[in-house]
Amino acid sequence: MKHRDRVLTALSHETPDRCPMQVSFTPEFAARLSQEVEIGAGKLHNPHGGGNTYELERHLDEDMLLTSVGWANWYYQEADSYLDEWGIGWRSVAYDTPYGPGRYTEFDHHPLAEDGAIENYQPPDPTNPELYKEAEWVLQNFKDEYWIVGVTVTTIFECAWALRGYERMLTDFALNPDLAERILDLPYHYHLAAAKKLTQMGVDMIWIGDDVGAQHAMLISPKMWRRFLKPRMANFIAELKAINPQVKVAYHSDGCIYPIIPDLIEIGLDVLNPVQPASMDPVRLKREYGDRLCFWGSIDEQHTLPFGSAADVRAEVRSRIETLGKHGGLILGPTHHVQLDTPMENFWAMINTITATPYPIT
Amino acid sequence: MKQLIQEISDGVMNGDAATVTAKVQQALQAGIEASRILNEGMISTMAEVGRLFEEGEYFVPEMLISARAMQAGLGLLKPYLVESNIQSTGKVAIGTVKGDLHDIGKNLVAMMMEGAGFEVIDLGNDVSPDKFVAAVRDSGAQIIAMSALLTTTMPAMTTTIQALQAAGLRDQVKVIIGGAPITQEYAEKIGADGFAPDASRAVSIAKSLVQA
Repeated sequence: MKHRDRVLTALSHETPDRCPMQVSFTPEFAARLSQEVEIGAGKLHNPHGGGNTYELERHLDEDMLLTSVGWANWYYQEADSYLDEWGIGWRSVAYDTPYGPGRYTEFDHHPLAEDGAIENYQPPDPTNPELYKEAEWVLQNFKDEYWIVGVTVTTIFECAWALRGYERMLTDFALNPDLAERILDLPYHYHLAAAKKLTQMGVDMIWIGDDVGAQHAMLISPKMWRRFLKPRMANFIAELKAINPQVKVAYHSDGCIYPIIPDLIEIGLDVLNPVQPASMDPVRLKREYGDRLCFWGSIDEQHTLPFGSAADVRAEVRSRIETLGKHGGLILGPTHHVQLDTPMENFWAMINTITATPYPIT
Repeated sequence: MKQLIQEISDGVMNGDAATVTAKVQQALQAGIEASRILNEGMISTMAEVGRLFEEGEYFVPEMLISARAMQAGLGLLKPYLVESNIQSTGKVAIGTVKGDLHDIGKNLVAMMMEGAGFEVIDLGNDVSPDKFVAAVRDSGAQIIAMSALLTTTMPAMTTTIQALQAAGLRDQVKVIIGGAPITQEYAEKIGADGFAPDASRAVSIAKSLVQA
């Protein structure tokens, strides 16, 4: 089965030959993997700290290829401190694992920290043709074979709080709502322009995202989400579907977001990512929403992949196919980029179990 | 008097720092004891904020603004509390572990601890084991509270506990941990004394540990 047909079948709530797969990794894990499979690391392309290369993704038999435009592409841009085009300051923070050292890029300067700073603020230009060169190349070379995803994650809230500062943005929701609205509009308009352009270019799915879930509850109340984020997301999705009614929309939020899932379905969401199993029960999600919503992710990156055994990983993959992936509706993968602390045998247990488990699972 | 205390409490509950500041000043001028303002206007209210958070009525923004309002009032009360030698519930040194800059969870725990009458030494983020050890040695903290968001930085909790052992301080201090990937099972595995899934429950655990 062609990769793109496998994804389309699953997203049509039918069972393909096997569950579709999409896996991303940090740059450090990608380097380790490249060495193991002896595939030279190409240009890293995935957003949000991801270190994927199209060579590695195709080698692993992944079914979706991603191309990203937006603020999330600013992760991992320099080894030391740097300022991105939004004026957000970044720095690297090192960590150690049994498999070597790594680093994350974190932000430490917020250009809209002062209340009045927005008056003179100029966001970057989403119409710059350079931004869409990679998407053009990916579509030209791979669309016949693969399901192509245009990525505009950190769509509204995440980029907004990077501009403002996390706690400041959260308190603005409660104490300074007009300013919050103005700040949210900056990334919203930017990423909407990018997502519309990617849709016009012919991507199969747009992936939007904002983390609004903590481990066991939402970060902000459903009421606050409905006031500040739902109307923008509703319009975002509607504008994409007006360009191409067939385009699918996936939404990413870490953590527990049970209360807003019916809202997401109502505004036209097709696919929920990453379904963190330590935060939301995959069986419950499938039972309550599986007829109207598809799922992407679900292999635990907080416990099973880094700290479980290969047998635990195999069991989790099979359990997901049997439950969340029953009658299709699932794209399997880790709930975040595979991190450097993951044993290679766990990684291969995930990949090989997904690719070697045909539907129907017995 | 009761009216003023109630207004302070309402101000904390609603995250209204300006009201809390004004009413605490009025209360002090009216001669209400600082310890009474603290206990009846703030500590009991922050306990209620914590309860509402646990029950899913309050979320991070509501908790943040309540805590900030409480801190505004507490700033005014502190000189009076010191003067009348009011003892804190206990002393907590708190930080996000080495390699990890994620601090909103840690900040919420620190604020809720403060709101429960603890003296809080906030070591910030990216805190090395040595810094935790120095905090125990220098401040006499009874509790170390460590936070981690990342699976790659969780092991720093173990190295910090080992550093406390090596410095001969492990028996003097209770260690509590929290953060998205942290579980009770992990706390037991690395020899921590407690785990809490959220800021409110971190306070309950800290209280039970200092009373033990």
